[in-house]
Amino acid sequence: MRTNKITEEERKKAFTSLRKPEVIEKQKLDVLYHVEDFDTNDRPRRFLEAFAAILKHSNYRMALDHFIRMSAKCSRCTTTCQVYQATGDPKDIPCYRSELLLSIYRRHFTLGGMLRGKIAGTGHVTDEKIQEIAESFYNCTACRRCVQECPSGIDHGLVTHLGRYILSEIGIAPRALVVSTREQLEGESGNTSAIPVPALIDTLEFLEEDMLEEKEVEIKFPIDVENTEYVFFPAVSDFLMEAETLMGIAAVFTATGDSWTTGTGYFDGINYGLFYSDRILERVVKKIDVETKRLKGKNVLIGECGHASRSAKMFLPAYCGGDKAFPVINIMEYTHKVWKEGRLKLDPNVVTEIVAYHDPCNIARTKWIINRPREILKAFCKNYVEMTPSGEDNICCGGGGGTVSIDEIRPYRTTVGGKLKADQIRKSGCKILVAPCANCKKQLKELVEDQKIDCEVVGLHDLIYKAIIFDDSLKVKPAEKEKASQEEN
Amino acid sequence: MEALLEFARGPLFRLSFAIMILGLIRILALDLYSAWEAYRKAGDKTLPWNLIITRTLHWMFPVKRVINSRPVYSIISILFHIGLLSVPIFLFAHIQLWEGAIGIGWWAIPKGLADILTLTTIACGIFLFIGRISNKASNFISRKQDYFWPLLLLIPFVTGYFCTNSNIGASGYQFLILVHILSAELIFLLLPFTKMAHCILMPLSQFIANLAWKFPANTDDDVCTTLNKKGAKV
Repeated sequence: MRTNKITEEERKKAFTSLRKPEVIEKQKLDVLYHVEDFDTNDRPRRFLEAFAAILKHSNYRMALDHFIRMSAKCSRCTTTCQVYQATGDPKDIPCYRSELLLSIYRRHFTLGGMLRGKIAGTGHVTDEKIQEIAESFYNCTACRRCVQECPSGIDHGLVTHLGRYILSEIGIAPRALVVSTREQLEGESGNTSAIPVPALIDTLEFLEEDMLEEKEVEIKFPIDVENTEYVFFPAVSDFLMEAETLMGIAAVFTATGDSWTTGTGYFDGINYGLFYSDRILERVVKKIDVETKRLKGKNVLIGECGHASRSAKMFLPAYCGGDKAFPVINIMEYTHKVWKEGRLKLDPNVVTEIVAYHDPCNIARTKWIINRPREILKAFCKNYVEMTPSGEDNICCGGGGGTVSIDEIRPYRTTVGGKLKADQIRKSGCKILVAPCANCKKQLKELVEDQKIDCEVVGLHDLIYKAIIFDDSLKVKPAEKEKASQEEN
Repeated sequence: MEALLEFARGPLFRLSFAIMILGLIRILALDLYSAWEAYRKAGDKTLPWNLIITRTLHWMFPVKRVINSRPVYSIISILFHIGLLSVPIFLFAHIQLWEGAIGIGWWAIPKGLADILTLTTIACGIFLFIGRISNKASNFISRKQDYFWPLLLLIPFVTGYFCTNSNIGASGYQFLILVHILSAELIFLLLPFTKMAHCILMPLSQFIANLAWKFPANTDDDVCTTLNKKGAKV
């Protein structure tokens, strides 16, 4: 799928920095997003030091060595990159972006590069180059769609990931991500949305009452139950913004009767480390491990969230004991499993609008979860349509790679990053777009609003909640219901 | 002239060929060694083999993606690679030389097919070169070697074709065959040290890219210590 370039007017809107000029002046860094105050002296030297330290304690050197030898500059990635297709700016070609970092690696960390640099006296990393990287690497949505199209197998997503990690070590990281992570790792609440435990319990009780009224079934959010099958970590923002998704998940567990719990010690699946720093990634993943151990749970269950699922699935084994680590499953895997077993019944007459499914990049690109949610949707949505391309070749919502959390760049995300997706949604004609990912949902909601598309963005479990059929034995009898409400009063 | 030709055919050929082979073995060994190191350090040692194998085969024999994006360019690129690999290896005249030198020969392609392949390679090479200069995106990301390589690769094909298919006289033949040999030797010499290294590293790409996501455990502490950031706040 291809798209037209953005108009001049849109370009102006997308690339106007919402930051104050004095901040840009002080930080000596003209990028669209905001960075906290950091040391502006001697940036090139510190950049190289950070690069060297990271190379020393990681596996990146292997990949970089391979990539600098392989890169043939064929420009095939231009056909898939949604950012490049929208801007038409050659600086947005994935291969060009990667080359920014690869050229520094070649010049400063390979023998040939060092010799050539010594003889010619050129190619040294400069402040301007770091400025360019800081800008370019956050224009990318880290969707890794270009990786699919690269004949040389260069993982531009990995290079972007590394580049951002190095930048963060010299203080260049989007303020929105850093502030949330600080609250998660060092704050009192211990989660990115700064929800205190009492507020969480209040919210869940409120939802339980709501569900009792709507479904006449006592649907519970078990809290701090030990020895359960699943310990639940949703994207914590769901508690504030996507209550329906959580209600759907609770409803599924009530229907099946399997044991699950949310821990009050830690209940956040979000891991911004995946977007800007491996060190943060490691610390956050370890919090999941600690909480699951505390509750003596058997499996880590991640809610509807792409990056939370990928960071737990890939990095829990990496940082917490290899094959001895807790198995990680995504809620859609669970729901699909119980639906297949016939333990979950859905009413096919509830959802009648045209429904389409959006693949979150982080779970679809590696072919992890593609067909399972589709099978469920097709079973109970009368009007299911497919958007093309989809599955492992899906188009990113435009807010990937943490950019969705940076509110300063919303105009960029909805005019450049999400343009191709907007075209795709329009073309499909869907009225309900199912996006089982907190990131995608926020971005797509803003996208349909800014691009004026008549479409509602929901999670998979929002629809399941609407269509779920409970066994009669679970229904609360009127007398019991009265009793329950009296008890509460 | 004859002495020069003799030198190019003999010692220079042996030297450049040896450098190519050793150079390719070196980068392959380095790649495999660092992959082994990375695997040893990785906290999680499970690799998505299914994905790696399917994607590797998929790009080694690229048929599926061709139609999806830039079909003309893709088909031309594939034809170019086929000619580039098959003609030098399976040309009857080349095999005869190998048989004479080391006593080992193999199956050769018929002359007619070799000529067709040579001509398509030349045509595709020229097209790819023009594509690189005229396409704005390609142009922007190209380095010097990206323009240089298609031209250099065509020299042995053009000279080889003329040597076998036209009546140019003894001295003309000698000159062309000298250019043919010298250009091929330059290719051998540069092969392991430029982007042409992909001729041997290509099958490892998907494996390396997937292995690179297998991070070593407990690097947080190590990086902090090295950067003197121990105990620093987020």
